Amino acid sequence: MTTSPKTAQRLTRILSMLPWVIANPGTTVDEVCDRFGYTKRRLAADLDLVFVCGLPGYGPGDLMVAYIDEDEVVVEMADYFSNPVRLTAPEALSLLASGLAIQSTGHASAALDRALDKLRDVLLPDGGEALVVDLSEPEMVGTVRSGAAEGRALEIVYTKLSTGETTTRLIEPWTVFSTMGNWYVSAYCRSAGGERVFRVDRIQSVVETGERFEPPVVPPAPVVRYSPNEDDVRATISLAERGRWVADYYPVEIVEDDGEWLTVRFSASDPLVAARLLLRLGVDGKLVEGPEVGDALRRLRSVILKRYSR
Amino acid sequence: MQNVIERILNLLAYLLTAERPVTADEIRNTVAGYAQDSDEAWRRMFERDKDLLRSLGIPLELRPTDAWEVEHGYVVPADAYSLPDPGLTDEERAALWLAAQVVRIGGRPSGPDALFKLGGAPLGASIEPLGADLGASSHELGEAFAAVSDRRELRFGYRGSDRKMLPYGLVHRRGHWYVVGPDKGSPDIKVYRLDRAADVTAGPTAGAFDRPKGFRASDAIPGAPWEAGPDDLTATVAFDAPLAWWARRQLTGRAQVTEAPDGSLVAEIPVANPEAFIGWVLGFDDGAEIIAPPELREGLLARVTAR
Repeated sequence: MTTSPKTAQRLTRILSMLPWVIANPGTTVDEVCDRFGYTKRRLAADLDLVFVCGLPGYGPGDLMVAYIDEDEVVVEMADYFSNPVRLTAPEALSLLASGLAIQSTGHASAALDRALDKLRDVLLPDGGEALVVDLSEPEMVGTVRSGAAEGRALEIVYTKLSTGETTTRLIEPWTVFSTMGNWYVSAYCRSAGGERVFRVDRIQSVVETGERFEPPVVPPAPVVRYSPNEDDVRATISLAERGRWVADYYPVEIVEDDGEWLTVRFSASDPLVAARLLLRLGVDGKLVEGPEVGDALRRLRSVILKRYSR
Repeated sequence: MQNVIERILNLLAYLLTAERPVTADEIRNTVAGYAQDSDEAWRRMFERDKDLLRSLGIPLELRPTDAWEVEHGYVVPADAYSLPDPGLTDEERAALWLAAQVVRIGGRPSGPDALFKLGGAPLGASIEPLGADLGASSHELGEAFAAVSDRRELRFGYRGSDRKMLPYGLVHRRGHWYVVGPDKGSPDIKVYRLDRAADVTAGPTAGAFDRPKGFRASDAIPGAPWEAGPDDLTATVAFDAPLAWWARRQLTGRAQVTEAPDGSLVAEIPVANPEAFIGWVLGFDDGAEIIAPPELREGLLARVTAR
């Protein structure tokens, strides 16, 4: 049996709040609540708990003293808790990596820069460059981001990844985010009349239209990972050892693994996506079944061969 | 929950003030909340409490109680219990909290626990129209980071073989986490993708290696996939005008690009990994052509004609 995460969180908060109150005598209830996300009732409950704990003997001289005196939070006889617990490795990494990620986009505030320097001195004292997070932004991110922040509609020239089709669209940008190594913007697309997600590096150009829009209070959580749907084309593909990465990278359904060939069912919004993948794989991928993908692959092969034979 | 928290606070108060290793029996007989009738119930409770302490980040060590090493007891070393105070201001804490809210690691943003430990900050909701997902399971990443920061060996399975390496650094680039450093007993810097590593475990000894002075983890990971590899070729590639923008965005500063009046490009591109390079050029369909050298051109044609 393990202890519930709630217990762990409550303990962490108590063991963080105590050192702060000890170091800041005279601190107020509001200050402590604000700083540690407490409601007044919760804080009082935790202080009551602390009050009945302490050192063996557990008499009046052994227990900690913790209570609220009008507006003041009082903690005494708890000097052994005057330092906060160290960060766990995942906690330290999350904080540092989050900050470094923002910093790598060039949008860090001066306060964040300073905070990261201080944290790095403590967490990686001998290796300033040992942890690197690189979310370098394609050039359009800045414009799209300020459009989203200020509620400005944008006109974009966008090239679809799957088909190469280029269109001009009017969008209301909501959220700009980076995932799986690429930057995306979720937006209401007026041209399509619905919510769409665009890959920012596929935006060829962007112009502010001068038009404003009211962004949704809470934009819907964008879905980036491709999920197969009914209109998709399907193909069965066998992958040799060197092509097995495909199964890690794309949402495929594994049909068979005979040790030599891994056979998967692959779906894509356009046959060209699967055809390009097969072309990249060369001898490491075989199309087992999928007539539309087969046609697309033949067309792709012939246009490339034509170019190379002229 | 209340009982658990009281017991843990009592246990921790006892351990932090004991100034010597205390045995499990002493804890059972001294600390309030452990008065259990059966040995089995006590043992289970104590095991759970030890796990809880460790999950909070509290270092709990077992050490001999005397020079004869007959008996062992528990210690929470005061210097390891806390981090040195980084001396953050409230403004700096708030900036960290904002960053932690918009960046997801292992599928979710970091909770406030880490920030509480650093002294807390008013936890406002993020208003930035920005987000980033750094992927990866937090367990493996945490283990790798612990090894990088404490300079421990790192062990894991990679493509069917067991690896033991000295993790000089950890890098997130192009959507993946990489751990960088030499295999144990070899001078060459290697790069491993963390999501392909299984059973990632940090070794028991801290300070097991020295990071070379001025080591920059990012230098080991190239700007483009075809720039990492053993080969040393220069490719000449023509890109048609409609795709020129897309080529430019993906080429790194190491490529030399010439633009023709019609908007098409010719680029001289250093290639260290021909396989990756050919795969990339194929992504342009018939909108790009490798002009030279012949071996890359033929390599591409071999892929196109493969059956």
